[in-house]
Amino acid sequence: MIFYQTPEGRLGFRDIPPVLAEILRQVPTCGDHEDEAVEARLFPPPTEDPLEEGARDDWKAYVQPELHDLFQSARQTVDADLRGLREDGDFFTVEFSTRHVPAWLNALNQARLALAAQYNFDEGELSQPGPLQITNEKELALLQINFYAAVQQWLIETIEE
Amino acid sequence: MISSSQTETGAATQDETAVDLPWNVVVHNDPINLMSYVTMVFQKVFGYPKEKAEAHMLEVHEKGRSIVWSGAREHAEHYVQTLHGYLLLATMERGQ
Repeated sequence: MIFYQTPEGRLGFRDIPPVLAEILRQVPTCGDHEDEAVEARLFPPPTEDPLEEGARDDWKAYVQPELHDLFQSARQTVDADLRGLREDGDFFTVEFSTRHVPAWLNALNQARLALAAQYNFDEGELSQPGPLQITNEKELALLQINFYAAVQQWLIETIEE
Repeated sequence: MISSSQTETGAATQDETAVDLPWNVVVHNDPINLMSYVTMVFQKVFGYPKEKAEAHMLEVHEKGRSIVWSGAREHAEHYVQTLHGYLLLATMERGQ
């Protein structure tokens, strides 16, 4: 898989193997999960102060819906970009505007955090290199987390240039 | 002997101090967010130069938390919301 930038400033990935294309397609749905652990990680409380129970209630009522909308909007942008995935021989290509980079970074982060919470990964497991063979859902989740991290890293380096 | 006006002034000062105590915005470590991503977020949200943003990121990574900003409660709430929007684990706490 190759990351590239067009002369017009668009970003893209080409030579994407089918399995990675499928994993990319799952970015928008990974973060949209009703699992309790995922919800807790994506929407943490604003303070641990025992005297601030009211602030936590207000946060839930007023701030969380805004964050929910923000995350949903990022996933929708990425979903729309991914509808443009096109088959190119045995591989796939996708291109998107640089204006969508913040949405991509956000959606990729949602997906990585959601997968880590859903499969209860600890720091030791996450620091392992990806599995050579996928034999269960947790190993697939680790592959997704690492792959999404590589895409995030490339996007960050690209916008820093 | 302390006059009543002195006492009132003292009480008012004490109240103002309590109200004005800064709130700290704290970012906590999590094993998922990329170091480069956290640095980028600190630059964007607080306008920190890269060196300062990296120093805070490393403090989060090595010590588990970093106070990234201190000031009025209202602003602290705004920063925590913004950091949550970037999916960082951030909280606010009363300054000492």
